[in-house]
Amino acid sequence: MEEQVGKIWHNIITRMANSRHPEAAVHLEQVKQTTGILFRALGGDSGLQIESAGTTRHGARRSWLQRLAGTNQQTELAWRDERSLRLPTVVDCFPTPELNRDLYLWLTALATGDSGTEQEWFQKNQQLTAQTLAIYPGLQPRYERLVAAHLKQRTHSDDLPPKEAAQEEAIRNALLNPGSEDHLPLAKHQPQPVPLWLHPAPPLASARITPSIEDEQNNSSKGKSKELEEQHRRQAEQVTKPEQDRGLVAIRMENILSWGEFAKVDRGTEENEELDQAADIAKEMEQFSVTRDGKSTAGRLRFDLDLPAAENDDQILNAGILLPEWDYKSQQLQPDHCRLLPMLATKAEACKLPDHLRKTAKRLRAQFQALAPARTWRRGMPDGSEVDLDAYLRFTTDRAAGHIASADGLYRDLQPGARDLACLLLADLSLSTDTWINDQMRVIDVIRDSLFLFSESLSATRDSFAMYGFSSRRRDPVRFHQLKTFDETYNPQIRGRISAIKPGYYTRMGAAIRHASEILKEQPAGRRLLLLLTDGKPNDLDKYEGRYGIEDTRHAINEAHHLGLQPFCVTVDNKANDYLPHLFGAGGFVVIRRPSELPKRLPLLYARLTRS
Amino acid sequence: MTTLFATQPETAELPFYQPQGDEATLFEHAYRHQLPLLIKGPTGCGKTRFINHMAARLGRPVYTVACHDDLTAADLVGRHLISDKGTYWSDGPLTRAVREGAICYLDEVVEARKDTTVVLHPLTDDRRILPIERTGETLHAPPEFMLVVSYNPGYQNLLKGMKPSTRQRFVGLQFDFPEPDLECRILTGETGIDEARARKLITLANALRALKDHDLEEAASTRLLVYTATLILGGYDPLEACRAAMVEPLSDDCETTSALMEVVQAHWAK
Ligand SMILES: Nc1ncnc2c1ncn2[C@@H]1O[C@H](COP(=O)(O)OP(=O)(O)OP(=O)(O)O)[C@@H](O)[C@H]1O
Ligand SMILES: [Mg+2]
Repeated sequence: MEEQVGKIWHNIITRMANSRHPEAAVHLEQVKQTTGILFRALGGDSGLQIESAGTTRHGARRSWLQRLAGTNQQTELAWRDERSLRLPTVVDCFPTPELNRDLYLWLTALATGDSGTEQEWFQKNQQLTAQTLAIYPGLQPRYERLVAAHLKQRTHSDDLPPKEAAQEEAIRNALLNPGSEDHLPLAKHQPQPVPLWLHPAPPLASARITPSIEDEQNNSSKGKSKELEEQHRRQAEQVTKPEQDRGLVAIRMENILSWGEFAKVDRGTEENEELDQAADIAKEMEQFSVTRDGKSTAGRLRFDLDLPAAENDDQILNAGILLPEWDYKSQQLQPDHCRLLPMLATKAEACKLPDHLRKTAKRLRAQFQALAPARTWRRGMPDGSEVDLDAYLRFTTDRAAGHIASADGLYRDLQPGARDLACLLLADLSLSTDTWINDQMRVIDVIRDSLFLFSESLSATRDSFAMYGFSSRRRDPVRFHQLKTFDETYNPQIRGRISAIKPGYYTRMGAAIRHASEILKEQPAGRRLLLLLTDGKPNDLDKYEGRYGIEDTRHAINEAHHLGLQPFCVTVDNKANDYLPHLFGAGGFVVIRRPSELPKRLPLLYARLTRS
Repeated sequence: MTTLFATQPETAELPFYQPQGDEATLFEHAYRHQLPLLIKGPTGCGKTRFINHMAARLGRPVYTVACHDDLTAADLVGRHLISDKGTYWSDGPLTRAVREGAICYLDEVVEARKDTTVVLHPLTDDRRILPIERTGETLHAPPEFMLVVSYNPGYQNLLKGMKPSTRQRFVGLQFDFPEPDLECRILTGETGIDEARARKLITLANALRALKDHDLEEAASTRLLVYTATLILGGYDPLEACRAAMVEPLSDDCETTSALMEVVQAHWAK
């Protein structure tokens, strides 16, 4: 009896130690930038992204009280795979935010040393730990703090059956003296998770212990349902950045919400209802993933969409243009891989500038007339606001020397300089632009307004510009909508075309950029700016997603550089910091945090970019 | 106005320069064959030092012009000035270098407007002449005259760049941050810091350099390393020296600088 009470008591203690510390929680979002920088500085691949790992059910022995309470059966793991470094969405296992943050940084440092070799989890992590500490001695104190704090939380081997106890001893030893234990003793249960270690990617239960079917399903759908929870947790918290999570899945979910049966969900209010719906969607997604291939389906949930009937669609201008595509795996350009269809909204009716943009347009036009073209002093003018001292001196010296000097051209004047500049704006019209950003506007509306204000401003500068929009449905067709060519002047007809843009299909950025570069490169201007307006990363129904899409886009951007063009990207994707630097370089893009500001900011950005 | 230094040859004391490769030989060849030289490279990687070193080696003075977008052709060539006796002509740095057979160094040449740099054209082809329109004089450059221009092809120069017709008049040389062994010699040579600490600083600098383009616009330069080493040698706390001389100058964004400090801390055991 006495012993029994002691056990219960111990379990209570353990549970307290094991319990989460929400008040000290650190979220991945808070440390994403820091971990990203640390990862890349310590030699991590800059093409990799930092993503949330989601929770995985671990099969370890839970303490009695935990089992009773049903807690502590899920753990957040970290691992690294081909396209990302996965870190826990939240770390709250330690009682202070400092320690929780330390854990993020530690895992990040650990991951930089991971060369991806297949190795037993237990040995691999010891070896990685030893190696990391040897290369970065400054991490030693941090590691020691973490180990000390973590050891306090682990159920002690004295309280475990003999086999589990031996296992536990080995792990403790491995943490204290990394590299000292060469194998993990067998036991019936999985060992208690070690948050300080990386998991072999992606987390599958150890081969020695066959997981239940339920566990496996759980694993495979985890990332997704977790992301939904994530999204909703954030919404429920009324975070002011509603579009924070705009990975593929989030975008798709937006679309589900904005279509059909889930239509008109007013984001940010009615959170309970929303959460219910999210749960429904999550369930559906789970089914989707399980029936599909029984494996993890991260990023797989996509819909094929039918193209509109020809009579309802824009007119196709020619039979199409074949363009190559870059395959990063084979490091080869695949010739004639995509077919791009130039299209024109011939039926769009000419129209005036929408009323709600009038005032802004007027102000921008005035600003642009004064600000954009660099004004320069013209010397030697017959008339002007100031005396041209150089010319005057020359005139007087010549006359003093007895030369015949002419007195015209002794003034200088401030005149608008001619700008030797051409800009092609390429707008992403993919389906994700159907996303609502607030009660009144979708991304596409913001893009439309931006195109209007951009044209209004640029026509005030006399800068030469063109505008196109694109979306794609696999590699054929890549729809390339002509809004304004370099030869056309901005007029009501063009406004009609802008007004007719609508969300299309997917985002095969590489092909669109390649074709836009071809057009821009024909312009005789000294500076040629390729401005890409987008709301998310490259993706399409086929393999054009993740790294493949990003690397193809990057290749297209590099080609543009080689043609002497200057690509620059303006995006409303808050996640863009993950991949855009890899595509455009640190100074080659800008993220507009509040999409509704895009229309006003785009022209100003253009002015800044093109200021000489 | 023009920033102008005329460094006189100091044959007695050659500025310390650690070669990274064959650049000194190329410079000498270009000099002997009267070819103008274009040096590209990030800030603080030793371009200016290299030119001063070579000039001293060849026994020529250097005229350095830091270019900016208000720089006019007159700033380079010269202009009439007023004195109590009337007006007189005053040579610009370029003209002076041509007359004296010196080295004229235009730093950050892309900052200058393109209509300014066209005055270089007749000087940089086989005519090697400098017509001074205002005085009607045409100078023929002596064999000792050499034109060197430099710029940093970074993203902040996104929309700048040289006209191909200007660029193609030069022999090009690309500078980058030196290999760790060389950089170590530069650090020890410049500051007298011991090799162990120099190596540590260089490993750290290379970690920060990996962030260029993705997280930072500019990479930590050799110049900043020299500063850091100098502070540390002076007895300043190493972590704080790194913050002051390697982290703060790289970014204004607080989140970025605190992340950079994490990188510093990982490298530097107390
Ligand atoms: N190869 C080298 N040998 C000796 N010192 C060097 C070398 N490279 C860099 N340094 C050190 O770095 C400092 C900066 O170099 P320098 O002023 O030549 O840079 P820069 O390339 O001209 O930079 P900027 O583009 O900013 O003008 C020098 O003062 C010197 O201390
Ligand atoms: Mg310099």
